[in-house]
Parts: sequence; C-alpha cells; structure tokens
Amino acid sequence: MRIRIVTTALLSTLAAACGSSLPPPNDEWAQAQADLGRAEAGGAPSVPDAKLHLQLAAEDLQKSKDLMGQDNRRAESVIALARVEAQLALSLAKASQARQAADLAQQDLQKLKGTGGTP
Amino acid sequence: MKSIRLTAKAVPLAAALLGALVGACAEHIPPRALVDARAEFARAKSGITIQLDPTDVHEADLALQRAESAWNDSPDEPITIDLAILAQRKAQIAEAEAASLKAQQDADEAKRALTTAMSSQLQAARGQLDQTKQALNKTQEQLQAEQKAAAEQSQKLADLEAKLKDARDTIAKIAAVKDDDRGMVITLQGEVLFQTNKWDLKAGAMAKLDQIADALRGKEQPMIVYGYTDNVGTRDYNMDLSQKRASSVRDYLVSKGIPQDLITAQGKGPDGPVSDNTSLEGRAANRRVEIVVQPKKS
Repeated sequence: MRIRIVTTALLSTLAAACGSSLPPPNDEWAQAQADLGRAEAGGAPSVPDAKLHLQLAAEDLQKSKDLMGQDNRRAESVIALARVEAQLALSLAKASQARQAADLAQQDLQKLKGTGGTP
Repeated sequence: MKSIRLTAKAVPLAAALLGALVGACAEHIPPRALVDARAEFARAKSGITIQLDPTDVHEADLALQRAESAWNDSPDEPITIDLAILAQRKAQIAEAEAASLKAQQDADEAKRALTTAMSSQLQAARGQLDQTKQALNKTQEQLQAEQKAAAEQSQKLADLEAKLKDARDTIAKIAAVKDDDRGMVITLQGEVLFQTNKWDLKAGAMAKLDQIADALRGKEQPMIVYGYTDNVGTRDYNMDLSQKRASSVRDYLVSKGIPQDLITAQGKGPDGPVSDNTSLEGRAANRRVEIVVQPKKS
C-alpha cells in the first residue's frame, strides 16, 4: 500500500516537471516572431535555402502556439527551435547576398582587365 | 523478519529492472537529428568556419553538448530531438556566417584589386595625356615657328618683288623688258652692244650694262645670258660668235658685282629668232643678247 502511494506521488511530481506548471513562454514567442520578421526583412524569402528555414520557423511557431497552456516546457523548446530556424534563414540570405556582391566585384575586375570572363 | 523477506524479494526484482534498463539503453540508436547535428558540427569544426567564425562554432558546440546530454538523460523526450535539431541549426548558422565573411573578404579583395587596376589605368591615361599635351605644345610651337617663317618669307618675297619692280623700271628705260615662262627677259640689241662680227663690248654698252648690273645686284636670282645671231653666215660661226658675245656680257656683269655662280652664258646662234631673217630689220632684231632673270628658287 505504501509503495503505491509513493509511486503515485512520484508520477504527479514528474507530470508537474513536464511543464504544465511552467508559465506560458509568451516573451520567447514574441522574440521568435521578431526573429522571423528580421529574416523576412533580410531577404530570406527570395533565397531558396533561406525560404525553407523561414517556413520551418513559421511552422514551429504555430506548433508552439498549439502547445502553449498544455505543455509549456515543450512549447518553449519548440520556440527556441523556431528562433534558430529564423536566424539560420537570415544567415543564409546574408551569405547569398554577400556571395552575389563578391561575384559582381569580381566581374567588375575582370571587365576592367579586359578579359570579360567571370571568376 | 518481514522486511528481510521483502528485501529478499526486492533484490531480484531490482536486478531484473536494472538489466532491462541497461539492455534498453544499449539497444537505443541515436536519433537521425542527433546524427545529423554531429556531422554538421564536425563539418563546421574542420573547415574554414572555425577560422572565420569561432564564436558561432562554440555556440554550436554547446548546443550539441546539451543535445547529447539530453539524449543520455532522457532519450525518448521530444525535447531531446528539438535540442538535436537546434544543435544542427547552430552549426549551419556558423557555416552560413563564415560563408558570408568569406564572401566579404573576396569582395574586399576584388575591390582592392579593382581600385589598384583603376588607379594604374588612370595613371597610364594621365601619362598618355601628358605626352599628348607635350606633343600638342611642340606642334603648336612648330606651327608658330612655321607661321613666323612663312610671314618672314612672304615679307622677303614682297620686298624682293618690290626691288625687282624697281629694277625692272630702271632697266625698262634702257632695254626691252618682258616676262615669259623663263622669267624676266631683258633684251639688248646686238648693234647697241657689239660691232659687226666682234664680241668686245662697246663703250656705250658698258654704260647700259652698268645700270643693269646696278639694278640686278643683290637680287640673288639666277641669270642666264643668251647670245643670238641672225642666219647670215655658217651656223658654227654664228654659234661661236653668240657664245662669245654672251660670255662677254656675263663677264662684264660679274665684274660689276653679279655673283659668278648665279650667272651663266649660252650661245644660241641663229636659233630662237624673234623676227623674220629675210628683212634687214628682222635680222637686226634677231641679233641680240637676252639676260633672263629666273625666278628665285625657294
């Protein structure tokens, strides 16, 4: 009888630790939303790789919203994932733009040298 | 006693549970997300990423450690997969940031090379421009010099023409003067200059030639003295006589200051008559000396 009581108590504690007792991560969600906006403004929608991660970020953000209230711990984890997806989208967009700029500079140089070729 | 029994029962049960747990762990294969995260991190750590963006690589490392830890502690938790994906994304961010930095370095290098190349082309263009300017200045100087020389030449010609006109006016008073394609032709009748069949100049002839010499002196124009006869007598005789008469006139003019190298004498005999040899007047007109003053060669 004593064993059953102890087991029940343990399970309750575990369930509580699972996140339902945590406050909903509203601030984190807002930060993720802002990251997504930055990635969009940074040109991610026009770079295929970046666009993919932007979509993943949006999906994670939606998923976290569904989890909020039920499993706040998981919701926070998914929000962190959404943020990192949005940050990756922005990094990829920036890398693509930087590469294009480098290629243009190289083309200018080749044009000036009179070869007309691309690197 | 009771507790001992319980303990005796509990020990095999605990051992069995522990065995099952250990077995389960050994069977656990790491999730795909974690495998991918490890591979991505290995890439980031081995390439240029670690050199260009060590900060983000470090963050990726920490994220991977968290994912590994979660995998060890609670492999079945969905959060474990989240952390593995997060670690993979962190490594990807590090790689993308490094790619950006590398592209910026490439762009900067190309821009520097562009600036250098443009500067050297500009310098070359400036050099060419300077050369062109110098050449232009030289050409302008030459042109000015040529214009000056042309003006001087033109002035000289005008002066010469004026002098020649004066000379012509002077000569016209004592001899027939005309222009033909040879130049200015001064014609002196034979009777005025010589006695029949002689080539010594008469005293009166010398006075006329003095005036002609005065007028022509200093003109520096080449002259030819032609001697002519009529057609009476043999041709050889007439040729010889006309040559001697022309030479007499030439020598006299030279003695009066006409430069020797500018004046020649040539006997034409009966050739080139200016009148009909059948009449007395015609023959008289043909017996003559012509001093041809040629235009000055520039």
